[in-house]
Amino acid sequence: MLRLLKIDFKKFVNYRTFWVLMTLYSVLVVSIPTTVMEFLKWLKVKGANFNEFDPLRVPVLYFPDIWQNITYVYAFLKIVLAIVVIISVSNEFSYKTVRQNIIDGMSRIEFVGSKLSTILMLSLYSTLLVFLTGLITGLIYTPNYDFTDIFTGIEFVFAYFLDVLLYLLFAFLLTVLIKRSGLTIALLVIYLPLEYILTANLPNSIDFIGAYFPMHAMNNLIEVPFPKYIFQEIQDYVSMKSVLVALFYIVLFPLAIYKKLKQSDL
Amino acid sequence: MDSVLSIKDLTKKYGRITAVNNLSLEIKKGTVFGLLGPNGSGKTTTLGIILDVINRTSGEYQWFGEAPSKEHRKRIGAILETPIFYPYLSATDNLKIVAEIKQVPTDNIDHVLRQVDLYERKDDKFKTYSLGMKQRLSIGSALLCNPTVMILDEPTNGLDPQGIAEIRKLIIEIAKDGKTIILASHLLDEVQKVCSHFAVLKKGKMIYTGLVEDVSKGEETIEVFAEDENLEQLLNDYEGIKNINFDHNKWIVSLHDGHNSITLNAYLIANKITVSHLVTQKKSLEKQFLEVLAASDE
Repeated sequence: MLRLLKIDFKKFVNYRTFWVLMTLYSVLVVSIPTTVMEFLKWLKVKGANFNEFDPLRVPVLYFPDIWQNITYVYAFLKIVLAIVVIISVSNEFSYKTVRQNIIDGMSRIEFVGSKLSTILMLSLYSTLLVFLTGLITGLIYTPNYDFTDIFTGIEFVFAYFLDVLLYLLFAFLLTVLIKRSGLTIALLVIYLPLEYILTANLPNSIDFIGAYFPMHAMNNLIEVPFPKYIFQEIQDYVSMKSVLVALFYIVLFPLAIYKKLKQSDL
Repeated sequence: MDSVLSIKDLTKKYGRITAVNNLSLEIKKGTVFGLLGPNGSGKTTTLGIILDVINRTSGEYQWFGEAPSKEHRKRIGAILETPIFYPYLSATDNLKIVAEIKQVPTDNIDHVLRQVDLYERKDDKFKTYSLGMKQRLSIGSALLCNPTVMILDEPTNGLDPQGIAEIRKLIIEIAKDGKTIILASHLLDEVQKVCSHFAVLKKGKMIYTGLVEDVSKGEETIEVFAEDENLEQLLNDYEGIKNINFDHNKWIVSLHDGHNSITLNAYLIANKITVSHLVTQKKSLEKQFLEVLAASDE
């Protein structure tokens, strides 16, 4: 596995697009909380009048709320990582290097494995970055907190990992099916609303299956947290069912990718 | 001799088209095997199947007498059609990937780059290379694992005459090391110069297989020309004459057994004709190839 990761990494080492996208992604993740907090401070300093309401008292980025809030928001940024995956895989098809890799002595399963190990690394990197950003932001800004508050809701970080992993695997599968990067990115973007439109129009008798569609499975991991700030009820935990459905797809997608590649003439 | 590659009843169908049709082939260790055939005759498809990038419809093949696996491919240096590398990486970085896949040490990279005369350009990106350099890099890449078997598919495709000569020289050098080489080409001259065995494919079927040296053992033809208007008459009167044709300012003559250029020349001198052109032509692979193809049409 390590060898396969090494092979795939060598393809990236001197690939400018990869580093540009990864830098962009990392800077975005790290800078968002600071920007938000500084913006709130600025609002307060400017004396914006919210009916005697202090914007800094909204605990958006305070322990323990922070975990669900930032994982929910950061899940939108995973499109950048998906583009990295799509480019990495579609390049292999457009340059025909997948063919040469096999000729040189890779098996198809090893080829899939090398891309999967990169996807796993990207998901872990993203999760670690989000965890550290959340931790540092919380430690800096949370006014008073108990030690136990810090790790309350940490399961959202784990859910975030599954969320990103599932999405990147989905991007991998689409690329193997479509092979062209531009088309794949476009389809990845429009697939999500399409799936929601489709499930919204299911007949009542079977509309429970909507939750089992892949993008639903992914989005159900971390529910929208913000309505609670206007006193509405939210799901402030990660449901076991959503984790199981997500895991199902996390196993299914690589199998489908392998089956497709095995049947293909490269 | 040990069998390097044995193919049995191999068939590949693309829908209604049969690209490879019941092909059987045996290649022994140390041979330089030329795979000939017109475009679309199934050469590349066959090589693609034995390298596991194309799925076969039916049939079997074995490497070194064993069921094929990725471990065999790691010991084979192969290029199929065009040179394939990551365009944004340098030659060295590309070969590092190949070395990692083949699980061979990277120490060999500089050596093979020198061998194919690319050492000076090793840090330049692949996309900046000329076609000849790309072809040479792919041969270098195939040499990286110090292979016992090399598969070269049209290695001189698209090269200028100098490039073709360089690659041919390289192949002959490699063949001298005792490596088994499978060379697919439609440049027959090239196959005749480097190969020991050859097979001819047509529409996915093998229509001929044999030794290259046997090709030239066949009948001889003689080209003759002299500045003398009686030449045609004299040639026709010669007792050993079998066939005579005029082609490109010279007479192409084939003779019966027991006659050759020496006896013909003596005859002409005796009749007071001195020739300005007298060449004995052994049968070329090209001629043999065209004959085989023509015969298969009948």
